[in-house]
Amino acid sequence: MVPTAEGQLTILEGIDLEINAGESVAVVGASGSGKTTLLGILAGLDLPTRGTVTLVGRELTSLDEEERARVRGEQVGFVFQTFQLLGSLTALENVMLPAELHGEPDAREQAETLLEKVGLGARMGHYPRQLSGGEQQRVAIARAFASRPNVLFADEPTGNLDTVTGAHIIDLLFELNAEYATTLVLVTHDERLAARCQRVVVIDAGRIGG
Amino acid sequence: MRAGLALRLAWRDWRSGELGLLLAALLVAVGSVTAVSLLVDRLQQALLDESAEFLAADRYIGSTRAIPDAFREQALALGLEVADTMSFPSMVFAGDQHNQLVSVKAVGPGYPLRGTLIVAERPFGPGRPTEELPAPGEVWLDSRLFPALNVGLGDTVEVGLAKLEVSRVLVSEPDRGGSMWDLGPRLLMNLADVPATEVVQPGSRLSYRLLLKGDDDALEALRASLPLEPNYFWRSIRDSSQSIGAALERAESFLLLGGLLAVLLAGVAVALSAHRYARRHYDHVAILKTLGATPRQILTAFLVLLVAVGAVAVLLGQVVGTLLHLGIVAALGSVVPVELPWPTARPFLLGAATGLICALAFALPPLLHLQRISPMRVIRRDLGTPPPSQIVSYGAAAAGSLALLIWYSGSLWLTLWTLATSTAVLVGFAVLALLLLRGGRALGMQAGSGWRLALAALQRRRNENVAQILIFGLAIMLLLILVLLRTALLDEWQSQVPEDAPNYFVMNVTPDQVEPLSALLGEVTDSRGTLYPMVRGRIIAINGTDAATWEERRGRLDEDGGGSRLSGERNLTWMSELPPDNRIVAGRWWDAAVGSERALVSLEEEYAEERGLDVGDVLTFDVAGRIVDAEVASLRRLNWESMRPNFFIIFSPGTLEDFPATYTTSFHLPNEQKPFLNRLLSTFPTVTVIEIEAILRQVQSIIARVTQAVELVLALVIAAGCLVLIASIQASRDARMHEHALVRTLGGSRRLIAGSLAAEFALLGLFAGVVAVVGAEVTVAVLQREVFELGVAVHPWLWLIGPLLGAVLILTVGLLGTRRLVSTPPMLVLRGL
Repeated sequence: MVPTAEGQLTILEGIDLEINAGESVAVVGASGSGKTTLLGILAGLDLPTRGTVTLVGRELTSLDEEERARVRGEQVGFVFQTFQLLGSLTALENVMLPAELHGEPDAREQAETLLEKVGLGARMGHYPRQLSGGEQQRVAIARAFASRPNVLFADEPTGNLDTVTGAHIIDLLFELNAEYATTLVLVTHDERLAARCQRVVVIDAGRIGG
Repeated sequence: MRAGLALRLAWRDWRSGELGLLLAALLVAVGSVTAVSLLVDRLQQALLDESAEFLAADRYIGSTRAIPDAFREQALALGLEVADTMSFPSMVFAGDQHNQLVSVKAVGPGYPLRGTLIVAERPFGPGRPTEELPAPGEVWLDSRLFPALNVGLGDTVEVGLAKLEVSRVLVSEPDRGGSMWDLGPRLLMNLADVPATEVVQPGSRLSYRLLLKGDDDALEALRASLPLEPNYFWRSIRDSSQSIGAALERAESFLLLGGLLAVLLAGVAVALSAHRYARRHYDHVAILKTLGATPRQILTAFLVLLVAVGAVAVLLGQVVGTLLHLGIVAALGSVVPVELPWPTARPFLLGAATGLICALAFALPPLLHLQRISPMRVIRRDLGTPPPSQIVSYGAAAAGSLALLIWYSGSLWLTLWTLATSTAVLVGFAVLALLLLRGGRALGMQAGSGWRLALAALQRRRNENVAQILIFGLAIMLLLILVLLRTALLDEWQSQVPEDAPNYFVMNVTPDQVEPLSALLGEVTDSRGTLYPMVRGRIIAINGTDAATWEERRGRLDEDGGGSRLSGERNLTWMSELPPDNRIVAGRWWDAAVGSERALVSLEEEYAEERGLDVGDVLTFDVAGRIVDAEVASLRRLNWESMRPNFFIIFSPGTLEDFPATYTTSFHLPNEQKPFLNRLLSTFPTVTVIEIEAILRQVQSIIARVTQAVELVLALVIAAGCLVLIASIQASRDARMHEHALVRTLGGSRRLIAGSLAAEFALLGLFAGVVAVVGAEVTVAVLQREVFELGVAVHPWLWLIGPLLGAVLILTVGLLGTRRLVSTPPMLVLRGL
């Protein structure tokens, strides 16, 4: 619920959703239906006005931002439509960041391995603006897996890419997902992407429909 | 987050150029403050050193009694340099025919501790400095004593019972201006010869001084340790000469004001760049948060970053400030004739503290706000980020400015005035800026495309532009204020000591000499012919209470001991008209037409205040053994710089006329007519002529030095102002680049963009200039009235210069700052953002 000039605006209502460990779920729906908000709430980026969210055994809605951040750092990886790489860091440094935030000593080695895995071994020292869209998204995927997350949230991961590149990214995402046995929750318009998930949840005007 | 990671992130940020502007702004803050305060510090010291020459020392202890040896020993023990002087009036004889009342000064080894003695080869000849002193058995005489005594070099004169050889012509000694009322021309002799003269008798008018030189702490320690009161008094330059003290204080006020403005400008630059830095890091922080960075980690990271940047800025800033300062001193090498003393640690401490406070007060609030950025921003770019708390931002900035200003100026009062006026002016500015922008939009409808684009740009970022007009306006206003005040102060100083100010005093004129002397003076000089009568007398009672009891009841002598004693002998005069240059501040001047039952007196304001006297008090005088009662009718403020005879106590006509009086006057004698003095002195051998030209020259040299200091500080403030302009343009750079890339993509030519940018900056500058002129006029009027106690005036030329200056300045700096904006390919801009 969000206060607006016209009164309280309800974005999501009556959501009752359970996602099992290892499952892959696609959240689909029209623009403005509330699917991105749902993703934010599931991942602990935002809090619902009412109701509870439990992530890997932790009730996010009872935690403060400090603790939620910790949960995100330990349990969650993200891939975004707009890549969201830090422009001031090289590809390698972007991928090192999660492990560095954890204080892991071998952040660099881990990051190098991951970048090799996504096929960017030769471009580690490049800055995001020197990479193509597809390459940037591959760096983002490497970064998402760097924290060895239990759950991976992806928001329109192919939304900014052409069809061919998008397909490559989807392949990469599912490959790594299988290898790391990660739970995958992704929001998408892309029917081919949704089709590769085990379950599809449709959001319509803030409610789960079908 | 461990400090290591925070530093690594800071380093990566720095490498990408993100921190450059913040560092540059802090660097400017530390650098300009260090440079300004180094300059102020050293010039202040130079001013004080130079002024110390007026005392021939840093301080002195004076008395009518001999200074005890214990004082001297204590001073030496504290590491101070000392020298003794002793002065007294005495008749000097040359042969049987000639004699003259002179003011003898006997000096001991080490004299003068400050400044130099100037001697000449022949009477009235050109002077040159010397480090020697009169040897025992010798005297040095003022030029005009040679004709008066009819002696030449090598002749013998008698001082008391001692016969001494005339060995030099004395032009001046540094502490000659110490007392304008020293009677008679100067005779300088060695202290060792004094016993032989046998002039030291009970009742003789002797003045002893122990001159002191050394650092302030030791001097203050000495002052605190000596039992000075009630017989000995302590003097520094500030209380020894009213006009020089006042000039010094004004100069310091002005230099400090310059310093304050540099600090404020630097603070604005820091705040601007910190806000820009924070704004560019909203996404950055949101991403870090999604990756698991906790708010505390984020806070730590930015604190470490700020401390690191602050430390680098402080270190580099001090180096830059010192270099800048040295550069200015070198560039002005020929203008600043004296060698500047070594700086104290204060400028460097000030620079470091400025960096720290600027970082905390101006840069920390926007950075603190970053920890509250919602991680949702990564998936919802449109998610409005609440702006940093304005109360926190402005509160911190205001508190920081206040702390800096107070510390910097050491004056709460000057600080509060500066802040109060600038706050009032800022509010007024905002309203004016909005009106100008709105007016501009209406005009823009009929303008060509470049102008229309410019006005649209101005209108589109209205809030931002109001802020920019405020900042530009403020910077220009500060410059205008400095220029205006400088002009006003210089005019004032110059008018204080006019070119044709009297340079000679004539004293000891007998009543029958008044007319012929007046006539003689009128022939050669511009003397106004007014000779003032003088009668010696002292106050013995106030409202029936005897003077000693009155002072006891007041509980203290003045801090300095002797200066305020009531019962000392004073020159009394009488007149029916208020002298020109005098102003009544309490009571009223007597009306010539109304005869009063009781005699009336008018007192000098400070003289009365120090002794607790006020209008209506009845004073009992002892004048030549007769008792005279007089009621205080008015208090007057004098203009000491007029160089005309001034009197603390003036009687109404009809009381003192019966007493034996001598007369005094002053006149201006151009340099080339100096031989006239010989004629004057040979016609009236008994009158005393005192040359005050030396004093005048010293006052003028101080004023010249002060003027230079003011100009140097002004130049630095202007430089700091320009840097704020650059920081401010940088702050709006991202938005501008994006817009212009869009216009270019839509087919706008490079020329159109350059033209519209030029128009935009010119308009912005024009508006800021208008706003600045309004602000400067108001602030200067208030400052002149309240702080500097000068007259108020409107400056029509400012209304032309201000807006023009604004337009040219901002256009230049703006185009330089956006050069890349026009030449960068649009694709690069759109992808980079």
